[in-house]
Amino acid sequence: MAPLSLCINTQTPLVQFLGPPDGTLLDPASRDPTKLETLREGVDYRFSPGGVTRMVYPLVRRLLQEKVISEAHWVALNPHAPPVVRLGEMTLHNVAIEGDRMAGYGAVKEAIWGRIHEIDAGGRHDDLFWSEAFSEYAYYNRRTAELIGALDSEHDFDVFYIHDFQQMPVGHMLGSLKPKIFRWHIPFDASVFPEEWRSMLARYLDAYDVIVVSAASYADSLAALHPKARVLRLYPYLDPADFARPPAKQVAATAARLGLAPADRVALVVARMDPMKGQHLAIDAVARLARSYPLLKLVLVGNGSFSGSSTGLGLSKSAAWRHRLEALVSERRLEGRVLFTGHLPQEDLDCLYERCQFTILPSVREGFGLVAVESWLHGKPAIVTARAGVSELIRDGVNGLLFDPDDPADLARKIRALLDDRSGRLRARLVRNGRSASRRCSLDAAAKAEGELLADVTEA
Amino acid sequence: MLGWATVWSWFAPFLPAVVIVVLTVVVAWLVHVIVGRLMRPTTPQMAISARRLGVAVVALIGGTLALQALGVNATVLFLVIGLIGVTIIVALREPLSNYGAKYFSDIYTPFKVGDSILVQGVSGKVIEINAMTTVLLSENDQLISVPNVAMIRDVVVNTSPQAWKEVTVPVSIGSTVDLPTFESQLLKSLSKLRARLDPRFPPVLTTKNRTAQSTELVLTLMLRRPEDRDAITLEANRRLAEILEQKRTALRKPATPAQA
Repeated sequence: MAPLSLCINTQTPLVQFLGPPDGTLLDPASRDPTKLETLREGVDYRFSPGGVTRMVYPLVRRLLQEKVISEAHWVALNPHAPPVVRLGEMTLHNVAIEGDRMAGYGAVKEAIWGRIHEIDAGGRHDDLFWSEAFSEYAYYNRRTAELIGALDSEHDFDVFYIHDFQQMPVGHMLGSLKPKIFRWHIPFDASVFPEEWRSMLARYLDAYDVIVVSAASYADSLAALHPKARVLRLYPYLDPADFARPPAKQVAATAARLGLAPADRVALVVARMDPMKGQHLAIDAVARLARSYPLLKLVLVGNGSFSGSSTGLGLSKSAAWRHRLEALVSERRLEGRVLFTGHLPQEDLDCLYERCQFTILPSVREGFGLVAVESWLHGKPAIVTARAGVSELIRDGVNGLLFDPDDPADLARKIRALLDDRSGRLRARLVRNGRSASRRCSLDAAAKAEGELLADVTEA
Repeated sequence: MLGWATVWSWFAPFLPAVVIVVLTVVVAWLVHVIVGRLMRPTTPQMAISARRLGVAVVALIGGTLALQALGVNATVLFLVIGLIGVTIIVALREPLSNYGAKYFSDIYTPFKVGDSILVQGVSGKVIEINAMTTVLLSENDQLISVPNVAMIRDVVVNTSPQAWKEVTVPVSIGSTVDLPTFESQLLKSLSKLRARLDPRFPPVLTTKNRTAQSTELVLTLMLRRPEDRDAITLEANRRLAEILEQKRTALRKPATPAQA
């Protein structure tokens, strides 16, 4: 098969621009691509820390390396960025929308997000698709589709790969006969959608040749909502080559800097500050165990998402959630037992993974939960909510520990099991089997499956 | 050096023709505006066509008068144009009637590609509506081609489930109009009709075709009650025309296509 020309679309951009005060990077009239290599990482720009981009970028690089694709154009919402950026063989195209429209767009995506993650039930947004805010959501998606259409006229793409629910209408709006793949990254449970949403979702999803989801249960639910859809389950992925053990000295120094004593027994939660991420459940569990285990410390790593950051979309909810968590810590008298680190550079995060006794993925609802896979790759046992996509990979007590997020005592029981594992047998078993399970979420496996998918949709 | 008198002596014979051309442009513009306003209660497609026809008639008359002012015999010119017109109409009577029927059926016939219909004793799923015929796929996989003229002359039964609910309105916007802004305005405006529309099916705008000059779209609305069909169609068209007319300046494309 000849290498393909690929157009990718995500909401979150691969690169966030920090921008000099004089704004020279942000000339909206400039059509000349800005070369990323001429800018300074950490000063002029930074790579988006997690989520969809962290997964898609290594995949695109691998597909380029393996000549599955010949070129990649990546379109994303990036209001504080030059219109076109060159990054190696990749071209990043940034879409900007006005601030007042951003508020409407943000309101709709948060409403969809909240409903899907069941943190916003109760009919408050049943009429979402009739709201004024929805016209702004449509505006953003149409603006994106128009840009992709213009790029297609120039580059004659072979396939469009659209990522995540925020971009769902793009396929319909493109009006192109070329193959379109849609990856749904968050949970999919049709039963949480109000009747008023279903036809709209089905209409948008109908525009895609294949819809990719992260768990078998999501695939089943999607097929029930939209029987005509071709649904494929592909696990999210990480590159194991990115995981190396940091030197012990560096680990000790980082731990000390973050306020951890050598004797502390550390439970690590890596998640952005969002109610859906369930940090409150971890705090509650630690509160239940605090007396029995005086050395137990909970470390919460993470900040807001791209949507919430000031260099992103400015739709902050993370600050409010952190305040609530801090209040909870104070209420449960856990000062000094729970540490909030905010966003950490990768090397510090690697040190924390190395330093911790185990990790917790406490989400109320989670599309997949690659943090569990990261934990396995760092050789640490993972305690995982039963409401994460990754839970279908976990056999309780064999390669991980599952807990029910609706049972406040369950997480505490699972933490206790690890803290009481004096022989280390449980821990060794979870780590050994976890590492083995992580192979199903490797970049190698994903590159193979995604390459086959691209070949399939373009040759069909 | 040429004197003014010499230039004037060359230009003077052409002056009446130039004046007629200028007047023609002014009258054509007036006709464009007046016809547009008069046609507002109809569909935007009809209004565009009526405007084009009005401007073409004015241009034809103006052009002929200008040629007459230059000494060309207008009677002969009119005769030749008339004869050519009659010949074309007689020669292409069938295709033209089908083409005309497609034009009207696009606007008024309640079916679209994907619907199942029954017409002239044959039934099938509509898989194509071209300039001349509507192509049906029968249940036993046969292609049936029905001349478009039958769609406005004969009884057509749309047998798709709940076909009465769906109202499709063709929309054509010029290349200077910013589609995202237009769509956003349209959705806002149509949300006011919510009480009359099925709450499960908000309005949707679908791109059908795009050229350098224009974008052809279809607006789909789903009714709550069948008896509202005519009123909703008219109201949607009125709102469409209003957005396209009154907000023409606001809908201009931004300078850089990639950026708002």
